[in-house]
Amino acid sequence: MEGDLIVVIVVATALAFDFTNGFHDTANVVATSISTRAMSPRIAVGYAAILNFAGAFLSLAVAATIANDVVDPAAVSLLAVFGGLVGAITWNLITWYFGLPSSSSHALIGGMVGAVLVAEGPSAVSFDEGILGKVMIPAVVAPILAFLVAGASILVLYKIVGRLRPRPVTVGFRAGQVLSGGLLALAHGTNDAQKTMGVITLALVANGTISQSDFYVPDWVVVSAASAIALGTYAGGWRIIKTMGSRIHKMDTAQGFAAQGAGAVVILAASKVGFPLSTTHTISGAVIGSGAAKRLSAVRWGVAGNIILAWVMTLPAAACIGALTYSVTRIFGTGAAGPMVVCALILAGTALLFVRRAQQRGIASVGDAAEVTG
Amino acid sequence: MIASVVDTGALLEVIWVSIAAGIGLTAIYGMAIVGASRAVDSGRRGHTGGAVFYGALGLVALAVVVAATVFGIETLSDK
Repeated sequence: MEGDLIVVIVVATALAFDFTNGFHDTANVVATSISTRAMSPRIAVGYAAILNFAGAFLSLAVAATIANDVVDPAAVSLLAVFGGLVGAITWNLITWYFGLPSSSSHALIGGMVGAVLVAEGPSAVSFDEGILGKVMIPAVVAPILAFLVAGASILVLYKIVGRLRPRPVTVGFRAGQVLSGGLLALAHGTNDAQKTMGVITLALVANGTISQSDFYVPDWVVVSAASAIALGTYAGGWRIIKTMGSRIHKMDTAQGFAAQGAGAVVILAASKVGFPLSTTHTISGAVIGSGAAKRLSAVRWGVAGNIILAWVMTLPAAACIGALTYSVTRIFGTGAAGPMVVCALILAGTALLFVRRAQQRGIASVGDAAEVTG
Repeated sequence: MIASVVDTGALLEVIWVSIAAGIGLTAIYGMAIVGASRAVDSGRRGHTGGAVFYGALGLVALAVVVAATVFGIETLSDK
C-alpha cells in the first residue's frame, strides 16, 4: 500500500518534471519563429504544444534507453527515482528563474545518477556504455553537428536565393518556418517526453508493477507524458524565448529556417537510435551556427558562453541536488513521509520563486511608467 | 576506449542523416523559393514558358521536401 502511494507521488513528480520540461525547453523551439516574425508568440506556442503532444507518440527508443541503460533498473529504488526527479525539477526552476537555457534532459539524467549513486552505490550506474556512450558523447556531438549543418545550410541557401528580390525570399522562408518549426516541436516531443516515460517505467519496474524482463511502456504513461509536456509548452517560458531568439544574434528568416531544420533533423535522427539528446543544446548549436556562418561578429558570444556554462553545470548540479534530496527523504525512513515532505518544500519554493518574479515584474512596470510620465 | 562504449554505427547514422537531410532539404526548399519567385517574375514579363518552367521547378521542389519529411517521420515511427 505504501509502495503504491510512493509510486503515485513519483508518477506525479515525473509528470510535474515533464510539465517544467515543456515550460522550460520548448521556448527554445519557438524562439526562432517568433524572432523572425514567422509566427506570433501565441500561435507559435500553441502550435508547438500540439506538435509536442503528437511527437510523444512517434517512438519509444529513448524511453528504453532511460529505463534500461543509464542506471540498473533491478537495483533502483522508488526513493532514488524520486530524488533524481526532484534534482532535475529544482535545477530547471533555478535556471528558469535566472533565464538560462540549460538542458532539462541532462538535469534529469544528472539527478537520477546523483540519487542512485548515493542510494545504491556506483555499481548501479552504467558510467561507460550508459552515461558516456549514450548521453555524454551524443551530448557533445549533437550541438556541434547542428552548428555545422545549420552553418552549411545557410551558406548553401544564400547561394541559391542570393540574387532574388528580398520580399519573396522573406515570405518563402517564413512559410518554411511553419514546417521547420513544426518539425522541431515534433522532435522535442519525441525525444523529451520519452525521458519522462522512461523514468515512470523505471519507477514501475522498481515497484514490481512491470517485470524487468518484460519491458514495455504502458499506454497511459505515453498519453500522460505527452499531455504534461504539451501543457508545459503551452504555459510557455517567455524569458527564455527572449534569450534564444534575439540575444544570441538577430536572425533573418532564412537563418531561422536553417537553424530549425538542422536542429529538428539532428534530434529526430538521434531519437530513432535512442540517444536522449537535449533540444536546448541542439537548437542552440544550430542557432549559433546559422549566425556564425553569416558573420562571426553577429553572434553575441558572451550570451553563448553563459549558455555553455549552464550546460556544463547541469549534470553535476542536478546530480548534487538529486543526491541531497534522496538523503533528505531517507531521514524519514523508506515510506511515503519523506517524498511528501520534499514535495511540500518544492511547492513552497516554487511559489516563492513565482512571487519574486511577479514582484520584479511589478517593479519594472512601475519603473517604465515613471520613465514615460517623468 | 571511446569506440568500445559508444554505438559507433548509431552515431554515424545520426551524423550522415543529419547532414543529408539538413543541408539537402533546406537547399531543395531554397529551390522551391527560387522557382516560385522566378515564376511570378516571368509571368509579369509575359514569359509564359519561363513561368511554367519555374512554377514546375518550385512545385517539384516543394513536393520533394514534403515527401521527404513524411518519409522521415514514418521511418522514425517504426517502433
